[in-house]
Amino acid sequence: MQKIGFFLLFLFVKTCFAQQSDFKNIDFTKADNRAKIIKSKKLLKLNELTFKLTENLETDVEKFRAIYVWICSNIANDYRLYALNDRKRNRFEKDSIRLNKWNSRFKKLLFKKLLKKKRTICTGYAYLLKEMANIAGIEAKIVNGFGRTGAIDLEKINANHTWNVVKLNEKWYLCDPTWSAGISYPDEGKFVFQLNDGYFLTDPALFIKNHFPVDVSYTLLENNSPSIEEFIEMPLFYGKGYDVFEKDISPFKMHHEIKQNETFTFQYKLKKELDLNSIKLVFYNGSTEKSIKPETSLQENILTIKHQFKRTGFYDLHLYAEGEIIVTYTFRISK
Amino acid sequence: MNLKYTIMKTTKTFTFKKSNIILLGLFFTLFFTSNSFLAQEITVKGVVSGEADSKTEVLTGTNIYLKGSKIVTTSNKKGEFTFPQKLKTGDVLVFSYLGFVKKRIKINANSSFINVVLKEDENQMLGALNSNKRYTSKRSKQE
Repeated sequence: MQKIGFFLLFLFVKTCFAQQSDFKNIDFTKADNRAKIIKSKKLLKLNELTFKLTENLETDVEKFRAIYVWICSNIANDYRLYALNDRKRNRFEKDSIRLNKWNSRFKKLLFKKLLKKKRTICTGYAYLLKEMANIAGIEAKIVNGFGRTGAIDLEKINANHTWNVVKLNEKWYLCDPTWSAGISYPDEGKFVFQLNDGYFLTDPALFIKNHFPVDVSYTLLENNSPSIEEFIEMPLFYGKGYDVFEKDISPFKMHHEIKQNETFTFQYKLKKELDLNSIKLVFYNGSTEKSIKPETSLQENILTIKHQFKRTGFYDLHLYAEGEIIVTYTFRISK
Repeated sequence: MNLKYTIMKTTKTFTFKKSNIILLGLFFTLFFTSNSFLAQEITVKGVVSGEADSKTEVLTGTNIYLKGSKIVTTSNKKGEFTFPQKLKTGDVLVFSYLGFVKKRIKINANSSFINVVLKEDENQMLGALNSNKRYTSKRSKQE
Protein backbone atom coordinates (compact mmCIF):
# COMPACT_ATOMS: atom_id res chain seq x y z
CA MET A 1 0.00 0.00 0.00
CA GLN A 2 2.70 2.42 1.04
CA LYS A 3 4.79 1.44 -1.95
CA ILE A 4 1.98 2.24 -4.33
CA GLY A 5 1.55 5.57 -2.60
CA PHE A 6 5.18 6.40 -3.09
CA PHE A 7 5.00 5.36 -6.70
CA LEU A 8 1.97 7.59 -7.28
CA LEU A 9 3.71 10.49 -5.56
CA PHE A 10 6.72 9.90 -7.75
CA LEU A 11 4.56 9.95 -10.87
CA PHE A 12 2.87 13.14 -9.73
CA VAL A 13 6.16 14.89 -9.16
CA LYS A 14 7.44 13.70 -12.49
CA THR A 15 4.53 14.99 -14.52
CA CYS A 16 3.88 18.29 -12.75
CA PHE A 17 6.83 20.58 -13.10
CA ALA A 18 7.05 23.71 -11.03
CA GLN A 19 5.36 26.62 -12.77
CA GLN A 20 3.33 29.76 -12.24
CA SER A 21 0.01 27.89 -12.28
CA ASP A 22 1.07 26.30 -8.97
CA PHE A 23 0.08 29.67 -7.50
CA LYS A 24 -3.25 30.07 -9.33
CA ASN A 25 -5.03 30.72 -6.04
CA ILE A 26 -2.76 33.67 -5.24
CA ASP A 27 -3.73 37.08 -6.50
CA PHE A 28 -0.68 39.10 -7.53
CA THR A 29 -2.57 42.42 -7.72
CA LYS A 30 -1.24 43.62 -4.37
CA ALA A 31 2.35 42.69 -5.22
CA ASP A 32 2.09 44.24 -8.69
CA ASN A 33 0.63 47.47 -7.34
CA ARG A 34 3.39 47.67 -4.78
CA ALA A 35 5.95 47.36 -7.55
CA LYS A 36 4.19 50.09 -9.52
CA ILE A 37 3.99 52.64 -6.71
CA ILE A 38 7.50 52.38 -5.29
CA LYS A 39 10.13 54.48 -6.99
CA SER A 40 13.83 54.69 -6.29
CA LYS A 41 16.23 56.98 -8.12
CA LYS A 42 19.31 54.98 -7.28
CA LEU A 43 19.79 51.52 -5.87
CA LEU A 44 22.32 52.32 -3.20
CA LYS A 45 20.03 51.12 -0.42
CA LEU A 46 18.80 47.78 -1.64
CA ASN A 47 17.79 46.68 1.86
CA GLU A 48 15.36 49.52 2.35
CA LEU A 49 13.97 49.20 -1.14
CA THR A 50 13.41 45.46 -0.74
CA PHE A 51 11.70 45.82 2.62
CA LYS A 52 9.43 48.53 1.22
CA LEU A 53 8.50 46.27 -1.67
CA THR A 54 7.79 43.19 0.42
CA GLU A 55 6.30 44.75 3.56
CA ASN A 56 2.97 43.19 4.57
CA LEU A 57 2.94 40.75 1.70
CA GLU A 58 2.12 37.41 3.22
CA THR A 59 3.58 34.71 1.02
CA ASP A 60 7.07 34.32 -0.38
CA VAL A 61 5.69 34.13 -3.90
CA GLU A 62 4.01 37.54 -3.52
CA LYS A 63 7.21 39.03 -2.11
CA PHE A 64 9.19 37.59 -4.96
CA ARG A 65 6.62 38.82 -7.44
CA ALA A 66 6.84 42.39 -6.13
CA ILE A 67 10.64 42.34 -6.43
CA TYR A 68 10.51 40.76 -9.88
CA VAL A 69 7.96 43.18 -11.32
CA TRP A 70 9.80 46.14 -9.80
CA ILE A 71 13.09 45.10 -11.39
CA CYS A 72 11.46 44.41 -14.74
CA SER A 73 9.72 47.78 -14.84
CA ASN A 74 12.58 49.92 -13.52
CA ILE A 75 15.84 48.49 -14.84
CA ALA A 76 16.57 49.20 -18.49
CA ASN A 77 18.66 47.07 -20.79
CA ASP A 78 21.75 49.00 -21.77
CA TYR A 79 22.54 48.27 -25.38
CA ARG A 80 25.86 50.10 -25.35
CA LEU A 81 27.10 48.07 -22.38
CA TYR A 82 25.96 44.94 -24.14
CA ALA A 83 27.75 45.82 -27.37
CA LEU A 84 30.94 46.78 -25.56
CA ASN A 85 31.03 43.53 -23.61
CA ASP A 86 30.17 41.49 -26.68
CA ARG A 87 33.00 43.04 -28.66
CA LYS A 88 35.59 42.50 -25.93
CA ARG A 89 34.48 38.97 -25.16
CA ASN A 90 34.77 38.06 -28.83
CA ARG A 91 38.19 39.64 -29.04
CA PHE A 92 39.53 37.79 -25.98
CA GLU A 93 37.67 34.57 -26.72
CA LYS A 94 40.85 32.50 -26.87
CA ASP A 95 42.84 34.36 -24.23
CA SER A 96 41.36 33.40 -20.87
CA ILE A 97 43.67 35.65 -18.84
CA ARG A 98 42.69 38.78 -20.73
CA LEU A 99 39.07 37.66 -20.79
CA ASN A 100 39.00 37.33 -17.02
CA LYS A 101 40.71 40.69 -16.62
CA TRP A 102 38.13 42.26 -18.87
CA ASN A 103 35.32 40.48 -17.04
CA SER A 104 36.52 41.86 -13.72
CA ARG A 105 36.80 45.41 -15.07
CA PHE A 106 33.48 45.20 -16.79
CA LYS A 107 31.77 43.83 -13.71
CA LYS A 108 32.70 46.96 -11.78
CA LEU A 109 31.41 49.21 -14.52
CA LEU A 110 28.26 47.13 -14.83
CA PHE A 111 27.28 47.27 -11.19
CA LYS A 112 28.09 50.98 -10.96
CA LYS A 113 25.75 51.64 -13.89
CA LEU A 114 23.13 49.39 -12.36
CA LEU A 115 23.16 50.98 -8.92
CA LYS A 116 23.44 54.59 -10.07
CA LYS A 117 21.70 54.68 -13.44
CA LYS A 118 19.44 51.63 -13.24
CA ARG A 119 20.72 50.29 -16.55
CA THR A 120 22.33 46.91 -17.09
CA ILE A 121 22.59 43.71 -19.14
CA CYS A 122 21.30 40.19 -18.31
CA THR A 123 23.79 39.26 -15.64
CA GLY A 124 23.03 42.52 -13.84
CA TYR A 125 19.31 41.72 -13.77
CA ALA A 126 20.01 38.23 -12.47
CA TYR A 127 22.37 39.48 -9.74
CA LEU A 128 19.93 42.12 -8.61
CA LEU A 129 17.03 39.68 -8.47
CA LYS A 130 19.08 37.20 -6.47
CA GLU A 131 20.31 39.87 -4.08
CA MET A 132 16.89 41.37 -3.43
CA ALA A 133 15.26 37.94 -3.07
CA ASN A 134 17.94 36.99 -0.54
CA ILE A 135 17.31 40.18 1.41
CA ALA A 136 13.64 39.17 1.58
CA GLY A 137 14.71 35.75 2.86
CA ILE A 138 14.02 33.91 -0.40
CA GLU A 139 16.62 31.58 -1.87
CA ALA A 140 17.54 32.35 -5.48
CA LYS A 141 20.43 31.52 -7.78
CA ILE A 142 22.01 32.83 -10.95
CA VAL A 143 22.03 30.55 -13.99
CA ASN A 144 24.35 31.06 -16.95
CA GLY A 145 23.59 29.53 -20.28
CA PHE A 146 22.59 29.92 -23.86
CA GLY A 147 19.65 32.12 -24.74
CA ARG A 148 18.17 31.53 -28.15
CA THR A 149 16.54 34.23 -30.27
CA GLY A 150 15.88 34.72 -33.97
CA ALA A 151 18.93 36.98 -34.14
CA ILE A 152 21.39 34.37 -32.89
CA ASP A 153 23.57 32.22 -35.07
CA LEU A 154 22.98 28.62 -34.05
CA GLU A 155 26.36 27.55 -35.36
CA LYS A 156 28.08 29.63 -32.71
CA ILE A 157 26.72 28.40 -29.42
CA ASN A 158 28.38 30.03 -26.45
CA ALA A 159 27.04 30.96 -23.05
CA ASN A 160 25.50 34.37 -23.76
CA HIS A 161 22.70 34.84 -21.27
CA THR A 162 21.89 34.77 -17.55
CA TRP A 163 18.64 34.05 -15.72
CA ASN A 164 17.48 32.79 -12.31
CA VAL A 165 16.05 29.92 -10.36
CA VAL A 166 14.11 30.67 -7.19
CA LYS A 167 12.97 28.42 -4.36
CA LEU A 168 9.34 28.89 -3.32
CA ASN A 169 7.49 26.47 -1.03
CA GLU A 170 10.46 24.07 -1.20
CA LYS A 171 10.34 23.87 -5.00
CA TRP A 172 12.65 25.46 -7.56
CA TYR A 173 11.16 27.67 -10.30
CA LEU A 174 12.54 29.36 -13.42
CA CYS A 175 12.41 33.01 -14.42
CA ASP A 176 14.18 35.43 -16.75
CA PRO A 177 14.00 39.05 -15.55
CA THR A 178 15.93 40.41 -18.55
CA TRP A 179 13.54 39.08 -21.13
CA SER A 180 10.54 39.92 -18.94
CA ALA A 181 11.57 43.57 -18.83
CA GLY A 182 11.20 44.52 -22.46
CA ILE A 183 12.51 44.41 -25.98
CA SER A 184 15.73 45.71 -27.49
CA TYR A 185 15.96 47.19 -30.94
CA PRO A 186 19.68 46.83 -31.67
CA ASP A 187 19.57 48.67 -35.00
CA GLU A 188 18.18 51.75 -33.31
CA GLY A 189 20.11 51.20 -30.07
CA LYS A 190 16.81 51.39 -28.25
CA PHE A 191 15.15 49.54 -25.37
CA VAL A 192 11.42 49.57 -24.71
CA PHE A 193 9.91 48.46 -21.39
CA GLN A 194 7.18 45.87 -21.94
CA LEU A 195 6.52 43.52 -19.05
CA ASN A 196 6.24 39.91 -20.24
CA ASP A 197 4.66 37.71 -17.60
CA GLY A 198 5.55 34.66 -19.68
CA TYR A 199 9.06 34.42 -18.26
CA PHE A 200 7.88 34.48 -14.64
CA LEU A 201 7.85 30.96 -13.09
CA THR A 202 7.59 29.44 -16.56
CA ASP A 203 6.83 25.77 -17.12
CA PRO A 204 10.31 24.21 -17.53
CA ALA A 205 9.11 22.36 -20.64
CA LEU A 206 8.47 25.71 -22.36
CA PHE A 207 11.38 27.58 -20.76
CA ILE A 208 13.86 25.12 -22.28
CA LYS A 209 12.77 26.18 -25.79
CA ASN A 210 15.05 29.21 -25.59
CA HIS A 211 17.13 28.71 -22.42
CA PHE A 212 19.84 26.06 -22.29
CA PRO A 213 21.82 26.21 -19.01
CA VAL A 214 25.54 25.43 -18.80
CA ASP A 215 24.70 23.22 -15.81
CA VAL A 216 21.97 20.94 -17.14
CA SER A 217 20.41 20.36 -13.72
CA TYR A 218 19.02 23.91 -13.99
CA THR A 219 16.61 22.94 -16.77
CA LEU A 220 14.53 21.59 -13.83
CA LEU A 221 13.46 18.85 -16.24
CA GLU A 222 15.39 16.17 -14.35
CA ASN A 223 15.76 13.11 -16.56
CA ASN A 224 13.92 14.76 -19.43
CA SER A 225 16.61 17.37 -20.05
CA PRO A 226 17.51 17.52 -23.72
CA SER A 227 21.03 17.42 -25.08
CA ILE A 228 22.38 20.56 -26.73
CA GLU A 229 21.76 18.93 -30.14
CA GLU A 230 18.14 18.27 -29.25
CA PHE A 231 17.86 21.83 -27.96
CA ILE A 232 19.00 23.29 -31.29
CA GLU A 233 16.41 21.20 -33.12
CA MET A 234 13.52 22.66 -31.09
CA PRO A 235 11.13 25.20 -32.59
CA LEU A 236 12.08 28.84 -32.09
CA PHE A 237 9.71 30.61 -29.68
CA TYR A 238 9.49 34.38 -29.26
CA GLY A 239 8.40 36.43 -26.22
CA LYS A 240 4.73 36.48 -27.24
CA GLY A 241 4.69 32.68 -27.23
CA TYR A 242 5.61 32.73 -23.56
CA ASP A 243 2.91 35.27 -22.89
CA VAL A 244 0.06 33.26 -24.44
CA PHE A 245 1.11 29.60 -24.17
CA GLU A 246 1.34 27.50 -21.07
CA LYS A 247 3.27 25.03 -23.20
CA ASP A 248 3.52 23.57 -26.66
CA ILE A 249 2.09 20.12 -27.35
CA SER A 250 3.28 19.45 -30.90
CA PRO A 251 5.40 19.55 -32.98
CA PHE A 252 8.54 19.44 -30.85
CA LYS A 253 10.98 20.03 -33.69
CA MET A 254 11.77 23.06 -35.74
CA HIS A 255 12.37 21.34 -39.06
CA HIS A 256 9.92 19.05 -40.86
CA GLU A 257 10.08 17.14 -44.13
CA ILE A 258 6.66 16.22 -45.47
CA LYS A 259 4.89 15.29 -48.70
CA GLN A 260 2.82 17.63 -50.81
CA ASN A 261 -0.89 17.81 -49.82
CA GLU A 262 -0.20 16.39 -46.39
CA THR A 263 -2.08 18.06 -43.53
CA PHE A 264 0.03 19.12 -40.60
CA THR A 265 -1.26 19.78 -37.06
CA PHE A 266 0.08 22.27 -34.53
CA GLN A 267 -1.13 22.14 -30.92
CA TYR A 268 -0.58 24.37 -27.90
CA LYS A 269 -1.98 24.75 -24.42
CA LEU A 270 -3.15 28.34 -23.90
CA LYS A 271 -2.53 30.32 -20.74
CA LYS A 272 -4.96 33.12 -21.51
CA GLU A 273 -7.63 34.03 -24.01
CA LEU A 274 -6.44 34.54 -27.53
CA ASP A 275 -8.26 36.11 -30.45
CA LEU A 276 -8.46 33.11 -32.81
CA ASN A 277 -9.27 35.40 -35.73
CA SER A 278 -5.88 37.00 -35.40
CA ILE A 279 -3.99 33.76 -36.00
CA LYS A 280 -1.91 33.81 -39.15
CA LEU A 281 0.61 31.52 -40.80
CA VAL A 282 3.31 33.34 -42.74
CA PHE A 283 5.34 31.41 -45.33
CA TYR A 284 8.66 32.70 -46.56
CA ASN A 285 10.58 30.90 -49.28
CA GLY A 286 13.66 33.10 -49.35
CA SER A 287 12.24 35.67 -51.74
CA THR A 288 8.50 36.04 -51.31
CA GLU A 289 6.17 35.99 -48.37
CA LYS A 290 2.62 34.66 -48.19
CA SER A 291 0.23 34.93 -45.30
CA ILE A 292 -2.86 32.78 -44.73
CA LYS A 293 -5.56 32.30 -42.10
CA PRO A 294 -5.40 28.65 -41.10
CA GLU A 295 -8.13 26.40 -39.79
CA THR A 296 -8.18 26.73 -35.98
CA SER A 297 -10.14 25.15 -33.16
CA LEU A 298 -10.15 25.55 -29.41
CA GLN A 299 -11.12 22.91 -26.89
CA GLU A 300 -10.53 23.40 -23.18
CA ASN A 301 -7.49 25.65 -23.60
CA ILE A 302 -5.99 23.42 -26.27
CA LEU A 303 -5.49 25.34 -29.49
CA THR A 304 -5.28 23.24 -32.65
CA ILE A 305 -4.13 24.67 -35.96
CA LYS A 306 -4.29 22.63 -39.17
CA HIS A 307 -2.75 23.32 -42.52
CA GLN A 308 -2.54 21.39 -45.76
CA PHE A 309 0.73 22.04 -47.61
CA LYS A 310 -0.09 22.34 -51.31
CA ARG A 311 3.11 23.76 -52.75
CA THR A 312 6.49 22.10 -52.82
CA GLY A 313 9.62 23.88 -51.68
CA PHE A 314 11.50 25.00 -48.61
CA TYR A 315 9.72 27.44 -46.27
CA ASP A 316 10.22 29.28 -43.04
CA LEU A 317 6.82 29.07 -41.39
CA HIS A 318 5.99 31.73 -38.80
CA LEU A 319 2.96 31.61 -36.53
CA TYR A 320 1.52 35.03 -35.68
CA ALA A 321 -1.25 35.99 -33.26
CA GLU A 322 -2.57 39.40 -32.23
CA GLY A 323 -0.08 40.96 -34.60
CA GLU A 324 3.00 39.45 -32.97
CA ILE A 325 5.28 36.61 -33.95
CA ILE A 326 4.97 33.54 -31.73
CA VAL A 327 7.01 30.67 -33.13
CA THR A 328 9.01 29.68 -36.21
CA TYR A 329 9.32 26.28 -37.93
CA THR A 330 10.92 25.24 -41.20
CA PHE A 331 9.32 22.89 -43.75
CA ARG A 332 10.56 21.08 -46.80
CA ILE A 333 7.62 19.94 -48.94
CA SER A 334 8.39 17.36 -51.58
CA LYS A 335 6.33 15.68 -54.31
CA MET B 1 -2.06 4.62 8.01
CA ASN B 2 -3.65 7.65 9.67
CA LEU B 3 -4.62 5.66 12.76
CA LYS B 4 -1.13 4.32 13.22
CA TYR B 5 0.25 7.79 13.08
CA THR B 6 -2.03 9.14 15.83
CA ILE B 7 -1.20 6.28 18.16
CA MET B 8 2.47 6.84 17.68
CA LYS B 9 2.06 10.49 18.35
CA THR B 10 0.20 10.02 21.65
CA THR B 11 2.66 7.50 23.05
CA LYS B 12 5.42 9.89 22.21
CA THR B 13 3.93 12.74 24.23
CA PHE B 14 3.30 10.43 27.22
CA THR B 15 6.88 9.27 27.47
CA PHE B 16 8.22 12.76 27.20
CA LYS B 17 6.04 14.35 29.79
CA LYS B 18 8.10 13.60 32.92
CA SER B 19 11.46 14.50 31.54
CA ASN B 20 9.99 17.58 29.91
CA ILE B 21 9.77 19.51 33.14
CA ILE B 22 13.37 18.75 34.07
CA LEU B 23 14.56 19.71 30.60
CA LEU B 24 12.59 22.92 30.66
CA GLY B 25 14.03 23.84 34.04
CA LEU B 26 17.53 23.12 32.85
CA PHE B 27 16.97 25.16 29.74
CA PHE B 28 15.76 28.21 31.66
CA THR B 29 18.65 28.05 34.12
CA LEU B 30 21.13 27.88 31.27
CA PHE B 31 19.34 30.59 29.34
CA PHE B 32 19.39 33.09 32.18
CA THR B 33 22.90 32.37 33.39
CA SER B 34 24.41 32.46 29.93
CA ASN B 35 22.65 35.75 29.32
CA SER B 36 24.04 37.43 32.39
CA PHE B 37 27.57 36.11 31.84
CA LEU B 38 28.00 36.65 28.12
CA ALA B 39 25.66 39.41 27.15
CA GLN B 40 28.29 42.00 26.48
CA GLU B 41 26.72 44.34 24.03
CA ILE B 42 29.00 45.97 21.53
CA THR B 43 28.57 48.56 18.86
CA VAL B 44 30.05 47.22 15.66
CA LYS B 45 31.73 49.59 13.24
CA GLY B 46 33.95 48.88 10.28
CA VAL B 47 34.99 49.33 6.69
CA VAL B 48 33.98 47.14 3.75
CA SER B 49 36.15 46.76 0.71
CA GLY B 50 36.19 44.49 -2.29
CA GLU B 51 39.09 42.64 -3.81
CA ALA B 52 38.95 42.29 -7.58
CA ASP B 53 41.70 41.66 -10.07
CA SER B 54 44.27 41.84 -7.20
CA LYS B 55 43.20 45.40 -6.36
CA THR B 56 41.27 46.34 -3.25
CA GLU B 57 38.82 49.24 -3.15
CA VAL B 58 36.18 50.35 -0.66
CA LEU B 59 32.64 49.32 -1.49
CA THR B 60 29.80 51.84 -1.35
CA GLY B 61 26.35 50.45 -0.80
CA THR B 62 27.25 47.07 0.69
CA ASN B 63 24.19 45.42 2.23
CA ILE B 64 24.88 44.58 5.85
CA TYR B 65 22.34 42.73 7.94
CA LEU B 66 22.04 40.80 11.16
CA LYS B 67 21.30 37.20 10.28
CA GLY B 68 17.75 36.21 11.11
CA SER B 69 16.52 39.79 11.52
CA LYS B 70 15.37 42.73 9.49
CA ILE B 71 17.96 45.04 11.01
CA VAL B 72 20.13 46.34 8.23
CA THR B 73 22.53 49.02 7.18
CA THR B 74 24.52 50.05 4.13
CA SER B 75 28.16 51.10 3.82
CA ASN B 76 28.72 54.77 2.90
CA LYS B 77 30.93 56.37 0.25
CA LYS B 78 34.08 55.57 2.19
CA GLY B 79 32.93 52.00 2.75
CA GLU B 80 32.25 52.74 6.43
CA PHE B 81 29.32 51.53 8.47
CA THR B 82 28.04 51.53 12.04
CA PHE B 83 25.58 48.77 12.72
CA PRO B 84 22.38 50.40 14.09
CA GLN B 85 21.88 47.87 16.88
CA LYS B 86 24.27 46.73 19.58
CA LEU B 87 25.31 43.13 19.01
CA LYS B 88 26.16 40.17 21.21
CA THR B 89 28.86 37.53 20.95
CA GLY B 90 27.64 34.88 18.55
CA ASP B 91 25.51 37.18 16.40
CA VAL B 92 26.25 36.88 12.71
CA LEU B 93 26.54 39.87 10.39
CA VAL B 94 26.13 39.21 6.68
CA PHE B 95 27.88 41.38 4.09
CA SER B 96 26.79 41.23 0.48
CA TYR B 97 27.52 43.23 -2.63
CA LEU B 98 26.63 42.56 -6.24
CA GLY B 99 29.38 40.57 -7.95
CA PHE B 100 31.14 39.60 -4.74
CA VAL B 101 30.97 36.48 -2.62
CA LYS B 102 28.75 36.98 0.43
CA LYS B 103 30.61 36.97 3.75
CA ARG B 104 29.30 36.05 7.20
CA ILE B 105 31.13 37.33 10.25
CA LYS B 106 30.57 36.00 13.76
CA ILE B 107 30.65 38.72 16.36
CA ASN B 108 32.91 38.32 19.39
CA ALA B 109 34.27 40.61 22.11
CA ASN B 110 36.89 42.01 19.71
CA SER B 111 34.45 42.97 16.95
CA SER B 112 34.01 46.64 17.80
CA PHE B 113 35.88 47.56 14.60
CA ILE B 114 36.02 45.11 11.71
CA ASN B 115 37.70 45.27 8.35
CA VAL B 116 35.68 43.26 5.87
CA VAL B 117 37.16 42.29 2.52
CA LEU B 118 34.81 40.70 0.01
CA LYS B 119 36.25 38.62 -2.80
CA GLU B 120 34.99 39.00 -6.34
CA ASP B 121 32.99 35.99 -7.53
CA GLU B 122 33.92 34.18 -10.70
CA ASN B 123 30.74 34.60 -12.67
CA GLN B 124 31.11 35.82 -16.24
CA MET B 125 29.10 38.85 -17.30
CA LEU B 126 26.82 38.00 -20.19
CA GLY B 127 23.95 39.50 -22.07
CA ALA B 128 21.68 38.27 -24.81
CA LEU B 129 19.31 40.86 -26.15
CA ASN B 130 15.66 40.06 -26.06
CA SER B 131 14.88 40.53 -29.67
CA ASN B 132 11.75 39.87 -31.66
CA LYS B 133 13.82 39.65 -34.79
CA ARG B 134 12.34 37.03 -37.04
CA TYR B 135 14.42 34.00 -37.86
CA THR B 136 15.48 33.50 -41.47
CA SER B 137 16.88 30.20 -42.69
CA LYS B 138 20.23 30.20 -44.33
CA ARG B 139 19.73 28.99 -47.86
CA SER B 140 22.16 27.67 -50.40
CA LYS B 141 21.84 29.30 -53.84
CA GLN B 142 19.76 26.59 -55.52
CA GLU B 143 16.93 26.92 -52.99
